[in-house]
Amino acid sequence: MNSNVQNIRQTRKKVDTLGNDDSILDLIAKDHPGSFEMLIEKYGNLVWSIGKKFLYNQSDLEDGVQEVLVAIWKSADKFDRNKASEITFISMIARRRFIDYLRKITKHKSEDSLDDENKHINLYKESLLNKETDLALVKSAIEEFDTDDQELLNLSVYQGYSHSEISDILNIPLGTVKTRIRRNLMKLKDTFETNSRLNKVIHLNNG
Amino acid sequence: MDRTEEKLNKLLDLLSMRSYQLLTYTEELELNHLLDDFPEYTPDYFEPIAALTDATMYVHDDQDLSGMPETLKRKIINDFNTEKDGSTITRILKNIFQAPKLAWAMSFMLVIGTSISMIEFRNYESNYRNLPVKKALLEFSSDDLIEYSWFAQTDEFCDCTGNVMWSDDGQRGFITLAGLPMNDPSKNQYQIWIVDPNMHLNPVDGGVFDITNIDSPTIIPINPKLPIDKAKGFAITLEQAGGVVVSQQPLILTAPKERPRSSYGITPTTI
Repeated sequence: MNSNVQNIRQTRKKVDTLGNDDSILDLIAKDHPGSFEMLIEKYGNLVWSIGKKFLYNQSDLEDGVQEVLVAIWKSADKFDRNKASEITFISMIARRRFIDYLRKITKHKSEDSLDDENKHINLYKESLLNKETDLALVKSAIEEFDTDDQELLNLSVYQGYSHSEISDILNIPLGTVKTRIRRNLMKLKDTFETNSRLNKVIHLNNG
Repeated sequence: MDRTEEKLNKLLDLLSMRSYQLLTYTEELELNHLLDDFPEYTPDYFEPIAALTDATMYVHDDQDLSGMPETLKRKIINDFNTEKDGSTITRILKNIFQAPKLAWAMSFMLVIGTSISMIEFRNYESNYRNLPVKKALLEFSSDDLIEYSWFAQTDEFCDCTGNVMWSDDGQRGFITLAGLPMNDPSKNQYQIWIVDPNMHLNPVDGGVFDITNIDSPTIIPINPKLPIDKAKGFAITLEQAGGVVVSQQPLILTAPKERPRSSYGITPTTI
């Protein structure tokens, strides 16, 4: 718990140094000029990365990313920062839309690699990390898991492998894969909610 | 482990799976039944934490150097701004004409012989550019949107997937299709039909289209030739090039599966 508090304090320092930026979703809800462009600049790469997990065909991915960004724009007025952070809200919409998109198409695995290497991507990721304390909280929670459980989360949630694929990769029974991922998500949810409440208390105490 | 605990674990397994992969139809059904038994849980129970975990791993992944191509960013922004301007004009014109429904406004203009093309106040979609954006905007701006999945009426088309979405208020919609065989446009074309059983005895022509590639799904706008009061279903047939007014061909795909019937007991004379 002490290391978690330290992580949170360090991340908050980075956020305070950058100043208080308006939420992109707030700007969209107010119909701020250029807000859609800002959405793409801030979260386009993240949405692209999420889409790549579910859609392998370049054309499907481009169409899917376009639909998802418009969906996020239209949902901006539903964003409630008391319920979730901006990055959580956006990632949730993106993931749900891409999963639903899979219902409508057949996955076409393409042998061609996507031409999408971005030399500024590390700077982009750092900018997201600096502004979102929730990312630090979740990272701390994940680091408390053993290596096998971290790998299960990585393969399922991050890399998008199915249970049967994970079972083959790790040579674990299918039922065990399901149960362990479920338990990991529950533990992560509980730990994050506890640390998030603690963080709010620290924030209030520090004024 | 008692039965309740077993059911709860099953529910949590399905909720967890739903947060990171597509459930099968059977799994969705099972999940819906279990959610009835445990109303304190919602389908998105694990979605926030899964989404945040995904974003966290992405930000800390030094190996993943991929990002959205700049050309795609520019295209999406251009498409969005073009569509936003178009939607604004249509909304303004609707307010000016103060027609309770576009359908009745169109039929009134037809009666007095006014050419629809003289007025920008039309929904006929002849521009096949930016269709994913137009479809997404319709989806989120329509309060009366209906959506059905396609069902094959013959084994030959059982690999077809996709859906149809439609707004009576907007008098427009889109179909999405994958797996439909390519046609030879010089000989035949697929034709969309809109079933509005309370207003039209027979299905209304929704436009013709071609399938020119089978590598990715196709989005096609629906262009009704007559005003639609309340669309209850859709169908696709294969017709002669240019389409027909009344189809005599067998049904290929329908949405929903069974043909909707008229509330007034009127029996259609064609498909």
